[in-house]
Amino acid sequence: MAQTDTDRQPDEPQGPQGLDRHLLRRIITYLMPYKGWVALAFVLVMAAAFLGPLRPRLVQVAIDDYIVAGDLDGLRRMVLILIAVLVGEGVLSFINAYLTQWIGQQAIYDLRTRVYRHIQRQSLRFFDRTPIGRLITRTTSDVESLSDVLSAGVVTILGDLFRIVFIAYFMFSLNWILALVTLAVVPLMLGITMWFKQKVRVQYRETRKQVARLNSFMQEHVTGMTIVQAFNREREEMRRFRAINDDHRAAQIKTIFYFALFWPAVEIISSVALGLVIWIGGLRAMTGTLTLGVLIAFIQYARQFFEPIRNLSDQYNTLQSAMAGAERIFGLLDEDHAIEEAAAPVRIDRLRGAIEFRNVWFTYDDLPADGSEPNWILRDVSFKAEPGTSVAIVGATGAGKTTIINLLLRFYEIQRGQILVDGIDIRQLRLADLRRHIGLVLQDVFLFSGSVEDNITLGDPSITPEQVRAAAASIGADRFIQRLPAAYGQDVRERGASLSHGQRQMLSFVRALVYDPEILVLDEATSSVDTESEHLIQEALEKLMQGRTSLIIAHRLSTIQHADQILVMHRGELRERGTHQQLLALGGLYRKLYELQYKEQERTAA
Amino acid sequence: MGPLARLNPYYRKYKHLFIPGLLCAVVSAVFQITVPIVVRQAVDSIPHFVDLYNLFGGTEVQGYLYAYFFAALLFFGFVIVVLSLLSGLFTFLMRQTLVVASRHIEFDLRNVLYEHLQKLPPAFYHRFSTGDVMTRATSDIEQVRRYVGPALMYVTRAVVVMATAIAVMTIISPTLTLYALIPMPFLAVSVFFVAHMVHSRSDALQQQYSRLTSRVQEALSGIRVLKAYTREEAEAQAFERESAAYRARSLDLALVDAAWRPVFLVLIGLATIIVVWVGGHLVAEGAITIGNIAEYIIYVALMTWPVASIGFVITMVQRASASMARLIEILDAEPSIADGEATDASIQTIQGRITFEHVGFRYEAEGPPVLQDVTFDVPAGSTLAIVGRTGAGKSTLVEMIPRLLDPTEGTVRIDGRDARTIPLQVLRAHIGYVPQEVFLFSDTVAGNIAFGALDASQEAIEQAAREADLLDNIEAFPRGFETYVGERGITLSGGQKQRASIARALIRQPRILILDDALSAVDTRTEATILGHLRRHYGRRTVVIVSHRISAVQDADLILVLDEGRIVERGTHADLLAHDGLYADLYRKQLLEQEIAAL
Repeated sequence: MAQTDTDRQPDEPQGPQGLDRHLLRRIITYLMPYKGWVALAFVLVMAAAFLGPLRPRLVQVAIDDYIVAGDLDGLRRMVLILIAVLVGEGVLSFINAYLTQWIGQQAIYDLRTRVYRHIQRQSLRFFDRTPIGRLITRTTSDVESLSDVLSAGVVTILGDLFRIVFIAYFMFSLNWILALVTLAVVPLMLGITMWFKQKVRVQYRETRKQVARLNSFMQEHVTGMTIVQAFNREREEMRRFRAINDDHRAAQIKTIFYFALFWPAVEIISSVALGLVIWIGGLRAMTGTLTLGVLIAFIQYARQFFEPIRNLSDQYNTLQSAMAGAERIFGLLDEDHAIEEAAAPVRIDRLRGAIEFRNVWFTYDDLPADGSEPNWILRDVSFKAEPGTSVAIVGATGAGKTTIINLLLRFYEIQRGQILVDGIDIRQLRLADLRRHIGLVLQDVFLFSGSVEDNITLGDPSITPEQVRAAAASIGADRFIQRLPAAYGQDVRERGASLSHGQRQMLSFVRALVYDPEILVLDEATSSVDTESEHLIQEALEKLMQGRTSLIIAHRLSTIQHADQILVMHRGELRERGTHQQLLALGGLYRKLYELQYKEQERTAA
Repeated sequence: MGPLARLNPYYRKYKHLFIPGLLCAVVSAVFQITVPIVVRQAVDSIPHFVDLYNLFGGTEVQGYLYAYFFAALLFFGFVIVVLSLLSGLFTFLMRQTLVVASRHIEFDLRNVLYEHLQKLPPAFYHRFSTGDVMTRATSDIEQVRRYVGPALMYVTRAVVVMATAIAVMTIISPTLTLYALIPMPFLAVSVFFVAHMVHSRSDALQQQYSRLTSRVQEALSGIRVLKAYTREEAEAQAFERESAAYRARSLDLALVDAAWRPVFLVLIGLATIIVVWVGGHLVAEGAITIGNIAEYIIYVALMTWPVASIGFVITMVQRASASMARLIEILDAEPSIADGEATDASIQTIQGRITFEHVGFRYEAEGPPVLQDVTFDVPAGSTLAIVGRTGAGKSTLVEMIPRLLDPTEGTVRIDGRDARTIPLQVLRAHIGYVPQEVFLFSDTVAGNIAFGALDASQEAIEQAAREADLLDNIEAFPRGFETYVGERGITLSGGQKQRASIARALIRQPRILILDDALSAVDTRTEATILGHLRRHYGRRTVVIVSHRISAVQDADLILVLDEGRIVERGTHADLLAHDGLYADLYRKQLLEQEIAAL
């Protein structure tokens, strides 16, 4: 595309200064699967680089051999050849432009999916410590920053180099003196281009800074507009905005100055080349060593020559901006915090569903290097759940209830003790095997955008629509689903905005049910729902728990009343255990918790 | 034109730039067009020189002739350079006026936009997300700017270059001109279509990019569920499908993008070939010279960009028009909370009595009520507390005091006057508001506190920090009051943020202080300290406290218990305990919580 000068967006030359060979080589490895295509692109770009400079040469022949001689038949032949060459170059450059993009997009796809898969397999500890925004940037814009290098990059650079070589070849073969004369302005052109690039780079950095200032002011003030208004700050904030806007304008106007200088300068230097060609060429023509056709050919070469030079100087910026992105991406790929799988895992097909925590100690922090005691979240927790029984965990906020669930699913590794399922240490099981037999229902029901059905199957094609409907019917969820405008096909929108809290809870029950796990892990919702759906949820829950071992962070009175065993957690320790009646009789911590959290439900239920 | 007509005043405002700029565009184009004429003169004179030179072959005159021709050719070369210097100078001036003017207009537009945004009520920001407003303030303004400056510049130059070139060419040879120009309309039309396709495909690509981004966002937010149900592989495949779709959209774009170069190349190349072909015939007929062919080749090259720019400009205008329409949507939004006819300008201050008379509120006319029939009266200088569950309408209620919201039913009175009669500036100047969601600006700690009172002295800032129990924290910061808050500085804890937000309200020495659940992130001891400081102003300041904690509200003169938008209980702490309702329940639970925490 032709230049749109001031409107071109700046590249991002930040991060590592200059070009890191090692990094560059690593980027190039992503092209290896397509090396056949890359080779083809090389051939095409070379052919196009040859055909372009060929045309002025043919025009020269047309003028000197046919027009001057008045040979119109010969001229027709020449014109046909010219058209063939032109169309050839057009077709080649079209194919080449598309092909390089095609290669680049394949490589980008490979890189992107690799980055995504890498992120996804990381342990939850990694996700706790890395902001999601940063991970999104890695998979999207950082990968994107490599696209120029991977698509056009290398091929274009070589193409431009070849173009320069071919033009020089034709010029020297026509007339070496004029060729030298034309080339004489190249240093000037290079000089001014470098000067310009350097100035513009500095200026772009300034402009970017101002754009960022402007945008963050705007973003911040739009978000906090209530505060601006409540504090009568409109006038003062307007003054500040105007000042920032003013700086932004000043930076932009300075950039305009460089562009306004650069493009005319390029034209002037081209004209110097033209003037020199006319002068020296004219003198040579007088002494009979130069024809008019050659002179005209040189007028065209003088123009053609500078385009690849300018392109090459652009490529440097492209490469440099890619380096910063590449460094961040490879930095991510080089660190792996995935949970280690057992070398020789124990295979299981069915579970009975026995759970045992044996003297479990756990902290989310790293263990201190000096051997001092870390901030333990769980201290020496031991309990057993027999197959088919239910265990309710109660305790105040921060007591360690959720941690128990996280550990059973092996989202985190424990520091001391053992967690056993059917008597097997969970570290000896494959993660996928372990989790396939555990159904997790979280308090904050996470719905993915997509249909109700997708949210139940989570994209597992082996679950049939009939199974989904049967599961929904069995816990009474199909009634409200059928009432949705598109029933099972209803889009739940992001975060399930169109479903009520109770309905979302029911969906997550159906989700657990279709996976038919032997162990059910449930974090009950605290926020109350209306009595009708409360009733529904209670019934659904009872069905869900039938024949399964269940581990429940309990917020419902009925859950604790019916639990076979209640574990009372307090500050990471297991303080009391027993049935509801036993614990009430004990009159300790449980009794207080009961009065605080559950007793009220007795009243509303009554 | 439509929406773009709104820009006409700006053209008038900057006519001192536009008029000289357009003149420069004309002059530079004229100089540029003169260059090929000189080239033709030079090329055509060469055979004459050669003939003359050979005529005097072997004589002394040949030496003089050579010196003369040397000078003459040097002169041609020199004229070419001078002409392009002049053309370059005026191009420079053209850019320095027209493009600069577009930046001025951008500056003005953005100021107008921001100034208007400041007048719009919270209801507007419910409708337009921050992202939406930002897009309009950035890319839409940029689209409009391109139309205002560069598009105008391209069109002017294009018209002048084409008109002049065609005129000169026609004088030389109407036939050759007609043939040489054949590809030009095709060039403009192709550029228009390619540009159009590039834009629509870029938009499609952008959409797919957003989908890809939100897919990642969603998957990573729900990573716990994915892992628990071992759906990693399925999700990775879904991501691969989105990536593949993105690749497909990219290649759609690449296909039309790849057409740029060939379109230019083939159409311009064709024009050159036509010049050689038809010109060759004309030279044979003796109608034109070989120099004319050289001249035409340069004209054709010179016309490339102006002709192509016509195609670009059409799409630029289309996009600018759509962008301007989006900007107008904001600019024409009515500031619904503002001083009006009912405003009594004579009111200079307020005392602090707050009265609600049957106040109700709905976000939408048909929507469910957020508040219903809220009636109470608090004398100036006393303390009002509001308790209730999340979503009971507490925040909505207090936002009506500084008129961040106006009631949809009933009346809010301050000092017995309808709040709408008090000048907004006066009303808000006497209210210190601490919102539930703390919002601090990326500024220094001092700057954030002094946000509440312009030109506040250092003593006043320190005093406010002390009253908000933040002074010790600030002094422990690396740079004290000059420490930066937010992304570029230190991250404050939730409690520190809340206290900074309180200090910001206190520094105003307000008649009415509103604490909307503003102590939730501080511990009970700090809460007690801050409330103790507030008590010193008792009698001089009306305090409205929204809280979940009984400890924060128990000393209030009046406690309102809100449930589903209605007042269900009211009275003092003792009254409400005796009543043994919701409030008493809440109280008992909090006692239990304290007991458990102490275990």
